[in-house]
Amino acid sequence: MIVNRLKLLVGGVQLRDGVTTVTDVLGKIFTRAGLYTLAEEKGYASTIYGAHQFDPMVTSDQPVISHADDLIDVLVALEFDVNPDAPDQPNRDTILRHGGKVADRGILLYDSSAGTVPVRDLEARKVKVFPLPARTIAQRDLKMEVVKNTIFVGALFRVLEFDMDQKYLRQLIEERFLRKGQKVVDINLEAARRGMDAIEKGLTEQGWKDTGYRLEPRPTSEKRAYISGTDTLCMGAIDAGCRFYAGYPITPASGILEFMEQHLPRYGGRALQGQNERESIRAAIGAALAGVRSATGSSGPGISLKVEEIGAAATTETAIVIIDAMRAGPSTGMPTKSEQGDLGLVCFGAAGDIPRIVLAPATTEECYTIMYDAFNYADKYQCPVFVLTDLTLMDGRKTIPEDFFTRSRVRIDRGAIVREEDIRKAGGYKRYAITDHGISPRLIPGTPGAVFKASGAEHDEHGFVTTEAARRRAMMEKRMRKLETYLAEDVRPPQVFGKPDGVPVLVGWGSSKTVLLDAQAGLQKAGTAVCVIHFSHLWPFPTAVAKPLFDKASAVIVCEQNFVGQFADVIQQHCLIPARRIVKYNGRPFYPSDIIRGVREIVRNGRQIYRVGEEGPVMPAQVTEGDM
Amino acid sequence: MATKPAIAKIWEENATPRHRIQWCPGCGDFGVLAGVKMALTQLELTPSGVFLIGGIGCSGQIRNYLNGNGFHGTHGGALAYALGVKMANPELQVIAMAGDGDTLAIGMENFVHACRRNAEIVLIIMNNGVYGLTKGQNSPTAGLGRDLSQMEFSEESPPPVDPLRLALVSGATFAAQSFSGDPKHAAEVYIEAIKHPGFAMVNDFSPCVTYNKFNTYEWFREHGEHIPEGHDASDFKKAWALLDEFEARGKLPLGVVYRHPRAKKEAKRLPMWPEELKPVDLEPMIKAFR
Ligand code: SF4
Repeated sequence: MIVNRLKLLVGGVQLRDGVTTVTDVLGKIFTRAGLYTLAEEKGYASTIYGAHQFDPMVTSDQPVISHADDLIDVLVALEFDVNPDAPDQPNRDTILRHGGKVADRGILLYDSSAGTVPVRDLEARKVKVFPLPARTIAQRDLKMEVVKNTIFVGALFRVLEFDMDQKYLRQLIEERFLRKGQKVVDINLEAARRGMDAIEKGLTEQGWKDTGYRLEPRPTSEKRAYISGTDTLCMGAIDAGCRFYAGYPITPASGILEFMEQHLPRYGGRALQGQNERESIRAAIGAALAGVRSATGSSGPGISLKVEEIGAAATTETAIVIIDAMRAGPSTGMPTKSEQGDLGLVCFGAAGDIPRIVLAPATTEECYTIMYDAFNYADKYQCPVFVLTDLTLMDGRKTIPEDFFTRSRVRIDRGAIVREEDIRKAGGYKRYAITDHGISPRLIPGTPGAVFKASGAEHDEHGFVTTEAARRRAMMEKRMRKLETYLAEDVRPPQVFGKPDGVPVLVGWGSSKTVLLDAQAGLQKAGTAVCVIHFSHLWPFPTAVAKPLFDKASAVIVCEQNFVGQFADVIQQHCLIPARRIVKYNGRPFYPSDIIRGVREIVRNGRQIYRVGEEGPVMPAQVTEGDM
Repeated sequence: MATKPAIAKIWEENATPRHRIQWCPGCGDFGVLAGVKMALTQLELTPSGVFLIGGIGCSGQIRNYLNGNGFHGTHGGALAYALGVKMANPELQVIAMAGDGDTLAIGMENFVHACRRNAEIVLIIMNNGVYGLTKGQNSPTAGLGRDLSQMEFSEESPPPVDPLRLALVSGATFAAQSFSGDPKHAAEVYIEAIKHPGFAMVNDFSPCVTYNKFNTYEWFREHGEHIPEGHDASDFKKAWALLDEFEARGKLPLGVVYRHPRAKKEAKRLPMWPEELKPVDLEPMIKAFR
């Protein structure tokens, strides 16, 4: 019996079968029952209706480290009919796509309304199969088709011997449906019971005592939330004082705009849906000029459109936070797949040389905390600060104790702002005063006694346009000096897990951290010691702290989700050491097994680069379209 | 108009001194500068409460030739920056001044939506029909006053855009026209624009003496004509009819063509001072995730 440790995958047809409705209910209820859930591999299509969608989740009574490998304990296939994406396979699409990943002695639960699916290969591996005619029960017996999802939830709870008295389920259903009337609540609870009964019957028929898996509640007085990276990031931004946000709809950054539109006004702020990517960033720059903590966000294609404004913000020394929720590029790429391909864009995109800071959160929690840094640095250094996150983090959901948020608050520091009395004392004001640290105190327009002139054209200390050689040099150096100050005063060194001395070092940034730690544990078990070094402050690159660590390693292996190894190039360039690479760019997240295999290839076989998936066929003759 | 010399001087502080102004002698932009100065003086505005946004090109320099906060970003962006400034702090008087290329070519996306959004921003298009700073290429308003029936159009040289009509169909609540060769009248128009509680567009004919040899001061004097006193600017149909009527006579109307304020939600200055930014109550945001 496996208790309180499982990976569950719910799959079906997007929009039709209610995949995320089911996983949302499960995530919430497991969290309320004191269990921890992490769901960050959601697979969905770039179209709205019809394609395959799935949402794997890891649940445990311990905080979940990573999404682990793509092996499933419990597979739930919701489709009751043909998937338009794969028309020849009524109600078996999810099974065909994910059945092979179900663990021996695992569980399959599927909608058998359209008939039973032959699954001899799964049965041969002792997988317990439960055909469940959920749609038929919903339509014929309960006369309400939508409750088929609740039938599945009830069935799944019976499979896991969880919430058999419907304590948690009843509470959630009442919250959601009581305003629609007691009848709707009752019919949902009845639906769940039908699901349970069906499993009961299946167990009896097969002579199985149990399913081999169990989830036990771990009641706690601690308040916890089941929350996505988008939501934690927005909460962090608002708590850090962001009061203006402008964005243009784009996956996977639209959620930020929606959250901000819903919540910013409550805190005295405003959120603006721009008419395009440029209006968004320009309005954000305007709000920042007026003195507000201001941000814009997008994904790679939109960030590309904003590049000119990034240069303008940096040159005019405007404090602005730019969120890049990366998806798979290039160009439109794969809008609903994750990648880490925009590092080069945010570190180098712009005409000329500009000061900028690039931060990348590693976890759902860090999506929250990093926003304090982002806004504090933007204000202190008066330059664009990028928050480089990705679809995995933004769409991923996780159980987080709520006191984490209040505990992790950082003081808001708006940097050097001149006030009326400062102007009077100084007898005037220079917007771009040359200083040792490169930071010139700024003025909030409307402050009596002074004005500022800000310009994206090269300018003198007053902000007046100049092309004079010495002034230009002084101003360029002043701007760029801010980065030295940042490296000396604020940059956060990479986190080091283990000791780098004489062992291979796995380097990661952003969302790959948890998988690297999982891989490290796996390698350790197999007798290979590795050290993991993870960066969340990426640019300007902290060479002085990073190089000494790398110099001790037997090999530096940078793991990232892009084709060339963009961060590996940065490291190689700054530390003058060869950086080997494990790269993945098929739109799927890293799995610990990818890293373990890559490390073997590189360490044992002396390879420079390992491309995940390279041992597979170049283009398999028959590959099902869509997700798996 | 009675100018107040003592106050007028204020607008020359914190600005590029007159002798360093880099416009060709006789450039129409001088007239806009004079008109804006008169308007700001007349309204007794305080420079620290004024936010000037300049476009890219010869005209954009104007933000530095006047006192007041100034910003100069990218080509076509003036109205979008202005939108952010105004949304953040409605107490600031925001004036965007940009050329016809800036506003109607690369910045067209912002122009049309500024008319719809109706933020309380004044836009003065310093319209001369050319890209002056890059040495005289045609802008979207090139061809003004030519006999369209005699012209040969192509993809390369289409007929001109009329900013007034475009503003009207885009939902602007204030549209006016002025001529920088008559700064006093222009100032009166700017004052009306500044007083308007919404987006106010003024298309100012500001001749480029170096590159536009057709639309000259003389030409504008001959073709410009003040809008008659009795014009009912609050009526859209009458505004449109006025444009038709002037066009039929080959004339350019000068003055307020359309003015019809639109009711709008009131907005406050956003919290920005350190003392206004305290840790917030997370409960309303987090409760949906339990
Ligand atoms: S080129 Fe034309 S628009 Fe530019 S300053 Fe000279 S006259 Fe004025």
